Amino acid sequence: MDQRRAPRAVIDPKVRHVGFFTPPQSVATSSPPPSGNSLSPVMIPPPRHLSDVASRTRLADVGSYNPSEFASGEFFEDKSGRVRRSGGNSSSLPAGGGFELVKPKSLTTVSVVSNLTVKGGEQSGESQDGRGAKSKSVKEKTSKAERRALQEAQRAAKAAAKAEGNAGSVPANSANTKTGKPSKAPAQKRDNASIAASEKRGGDRPTDKDRKKDVPHPRMQFDDTTRVEKAKKRAVVKQTEVRNRVELFRHLPQYEHGTRLPDLEKKFFRLNSVHPAVYKVGLRYLGGDISGGNARCIAMLQAFQESIMEYSTPPEKALNRDLTARINSYVSFLIECRPLSISMGNAIKFVKTRIANLPLTLSESEAKANLLSEINHFINEKIILADKVIVRHAVTKVRDGDVLLTYGSSSAVEMILLHAHELNKQFRVVIVDSRPKLEGRLLLRRLVGKGISCTYVNINAVSYVMHEVTRVFLGASSVLANGTVYSRVGTACVAMVANACGIPVIVCCEAYKFHERVQLDSICCNELGDPDAISKVHGREEINYLKDIADNENLQLLNLTYDATPSDYVSMIITDYGMIPPTSVPVIVREFRKEQIWI
Amino acid sequence: MDQASDKTSISLTAGGDLFMRYVTRTSAVEYEDFNSAKSRFLERAGKFGEISYKARKIIAMLGQDFISNGCTILVHEGRPDRSGIRFTNELAKLDVPVKLLIDLVVAYSMDEVDMVFVGADGVVESGGIINMMGTYQIALVAKSMDKPVYVAAESYKFARLYPLDQKDMVPALRPVDFGVPIPSKVEVERSARDYTPPQYLTLLFTDLGVLTPSVVSDELIQLYL
Repeated sequence: MDQRRAPRAVIDPKVRHVGFFTPPQSVATSSPPPSGNSLSPVMIPPPRHLSDVASRTRLADVGSYNPSEFASGEFFEDKSGRVRRSGGNSSSLPAGGGFELVKPKSLTTVSVVSNLTVKGGEQSGESQDGRGAKSKSVKEKTSKAERRALQEAQRAAKAAAKAEGNAGSVPANSANTKTGKPSKAPAQKRDNASIAASEKRGGDRPTDKDRKKDVPHPRMQFDDTTRVEKAKKRAVVKQTEVRNRVELFRHLPQYEHGTRLPDLEKKFFRLNSVHPAVYKVGLRYLGGDISGGNARCIAMLQAFQESIMEYSTPPEKALNRDLTARINSYVSFLIECRPLSISMGNAIKFVKTRIANLPLTLSESEAKANLLSEINHFINEKIILADKVIVRHAVTKVRDGDVLLTYGSSSAVEMILLHAHELNKQFRVVIVDSRPKLEGRLLLRRLVGKGISCTYVNINAVSYVMHEVTRVFLGASSVLANGTVYSRVGTACVAMVANACGIPVIVCCEAYKFHERVQLDSICCNELGDPDAISKVHGREEINYLKDIADNENLQLLNLTYDATPSDYVSMIITDYGMIPPTSVPVIVREFRKEQIWI
Repeated sequence: MDQASDKTSISLTAGGDLFMRYVTRTSAVEYEDFNSAKSRFLERAGKFGEISYKARKIIAMLGQDFISNGCTILVHEGRPDRSGIRFTNELAKLDVPVKLLIDLVVAYSMDEVDMVFVGADGVVESGGIINMMGTYQIALVAKSMDKPVYVAAESYKFARLYPLDQKDMVPALRPVDFGVPIPSKVEVERSARDYTPPQYLTLLFTDLGVLTPSVVSDELIQLYL
């Protein structure tokens, strides 16, 4: 068996079916084959109807992925913009809805296979496609008429697919062949079957390769409905369509958060592909228990550490490739729970670089120990120690008699205020807060508990209160290369008002959160929250003025999570490298990414 | 070092820090033989002195390209130490046409001016400068009338300070003489210097070349980190 041939990516599932397919009634015969070896029937190119597909693929094959579902390895846009491949991993797990008798193995994200050594922005969906095609080898006898009918259907579907321009979907066929390492045993067997199938697709591949070269790899654009459909089928986390979508933000993932949690909890025991620690973290993101760049990043890294500790290399696989593939699957799961923050994106990049750079001479336990200590080192140096340095610099800017204003709840700013208080500086704090998250209340509680005198205002009052303020301290989710501060929605307002009053705005951000991306507005890259949260008031269930008009198509609810503050409003950024002007962020990125772990 | 005696001098502090960095930035620190390490340090120290001395020449060379024929040079009186008047004497000796104004006439005559040249006590991380009192005022007027402000400063004056406003610096006071006695309960502002934020400055002439204010932080990061 040729193990090193990675499953070929499916460019266009309909095309794949030319001439070789089995009608759905083969389902009865193929009910749960124990191993991936079975030649599961290939499905007829399904119409673009979710339920239709589900019914057809119902008992297709335990391990089989309906190839038509993975036509395009799109992947999710994530905040870092870097971890491209992880996006596609939403496809790595089959549509939860369709498969009742899912065997654990089938759910192993074999799709992850494709993500090995991704540097070229490949997509992950491919591998499954290849595997899905395994069924091709089964040629059941079908009547001529049936075959003709199927062929017509395929041709029609093919035409439709071409029209839709599957450029982005070009999975890295090349990449897959390069990596060539199926991750798990069952996958291998399926792959073998699929090899034959993939040969037949050879004809189509060159064109797709060309297309791939022409078109830069897109991040998942959610306004392309066909892709969204496919992604949804693959997703572990069942998403429900959000009503009242805002047209301008259609390119961002639109999800209704509340409904996902119970569904995900049910799946816990079936998702062997996701380590329980990672699963727990994902659930906590989903429920909003962990929020804030540092907290999320640390939780994720610790979950990775646990999973690495319990990891053992499958036979005949390379540790770094397999582990990277596994990390990718975890990342895609986390993205489904909540899109990645930039800090998480950078941390994931770090972990993957470290895994890739492991010397091959190390034994497995040594490699694992090495990785664990590296991650520990990252957390300690880049987050915990960085915060200490930031606090040390920032307290020099707090004088007696100051009135400090802060927005929301930033861990760095909180530490600064507490430390300044410990140094017996006389100051008072104004906390600006905003709905729907009302994160400022947590900060308020903690500061008042320590004896700091605080004022609490809603963001509507920020221009009223700004005249008494002497300094503004803000936290950030990230600082981008042009000095733009990407932070909780509302930060830009506060910074602008402070600037208009001539008050210095100090942003406190650890250097690992810096990013080379440039963003000019808050629209192209953002995260959408639950739109219902805007219309409801927590604790006052009777207030829901929108309930009667909720379904009106003239009403659009928008709940943004982040916004971008232009660098003109920022006086200074305090990082673990010292106090720098916003124009020096790319300098830090340039100088220190080189010398470190990113290498 | 003189740091102990004159705490208020920014250029001294900055220069001292940079001197230390420059001298010790050599693999000689790891030499086994103390004498050879010491001689290496002395060598580098000498070089530092040479660079600083030549800095002025380099700055002059770079700056002269910006002055074209027919430019008008205005010098203001420069209280409290009348440094402007000393400068006028120098220029007069060179037969350069000079017009002397009292400090308050800056806005009035800004129209006739093509550009503004100032020096600096220290160049801070944001790219702004700390200089004699009055610099900020001139820069503000120049900016509002679209006149470029050029700063001539040696690179050893780059300091790791970052003032957020005028009062965020170590105070340096000078006696101010009004010529008439002032009642004792009247408070007199005696600060000797002010901070000019980088948005009012156009270019900096240094021995490292002609720089924009944002490059200062770049240089400092490379030097110190």
